[in-house]
Amino acid sequence: MQSRRHAPETEETGIDLAPMLDFTTNLLIFFIITTSFIKEAGTVVTKPTAETAFGRESGNLMIAIRDNGDIWIDRKRVEMRDVRPLMERLHIERPDDTVVIIADKSSTSGVVAEVMDEVRLAGIQIMSIAADPAS
Amino acid sequence: MRKRRRASGADQEQTGIDLAPMLDFVTNLLIFFIITAVFVKEAGLEVNRPTSFEQPQEEDSKSIQIQILENGEIWVDNRAVDVRAVRANVERMSAVNPDAGVLILAQARAPTGTLVDVVDQVHLGGIQNITFSTTQ
Repeated sequence: MQSRRHAPETEETGIDLAPMLDFTTNLLIFFIITTSFIKEAGTVVTKPTAETAFGRESGNLMIAIRDNGDIWIDRKRVEMRDVRPLMERLHIERPDDTVVIIADKSSTSGVVAEVMDEVRLAGIQIMSIAADPAS
Repeated sequence: MRKRRRASGADQEQTGIDLAPMLDFVTNLLIFFIITAVFVKEAGLEVNRPTSFEQPQEEDSKSIQIQILENGEIWVDNRAVDVRAVRANVERMSAVNPDAGVLILAQARAPTGTLVDVVDQVHLGGIQNITFSTTQ
């Protein structure tokens, strides 16, 4: 490196790409490791709070239930009868995904129970109901 | 670039591989992963659902039943209790039956907020085995 910089020919005066390459590769590895392909629900609901809520590592299929009973999966509003085929498809794509049901505080338990049944019929056994940890 | 390669061809000591295509490729990968990265982590509570073939555990007298009515009232042991009293009730009943699970029977129109409050209180009372069922 030192010898190149002091090289007699003046033609080779490009910037040294090696540090940038190192940096970029590190960034790349970081993003590869942290990526987890989460399917976001795509709507905003008021989550209930719970003191015993805990973060699960692989909870990455979000199903939101709004206060009026609307169900949102993967940034789209879906009907109750579409939940099961959709979950089956996503379950085949990534079999170790788990489901997080983000239900609004004032949504009804019946809808939550129905969604849980549909998800389980689709073959996903592990699911949890989202809650904000109480502060 | 071509000019440089020709120049490097001229003197024999500059025969390193060309990094530019690899750099392009790595940068594209990087941009892809930056775009797809989502940093969301949901905290949640786990509850079981009874399997459809199994009746809602009427015969299992050991399980502690908590009912949630559609107006948000909570009933334990045929008494309406406050949400803060659920924990004490669960602790008392699990002291009698240490391996008892909890069955939460919510009416279909009961609010989810109350349900999560009850699940939270039962967890605080020391029972992790919670089954959630709905009634009409």
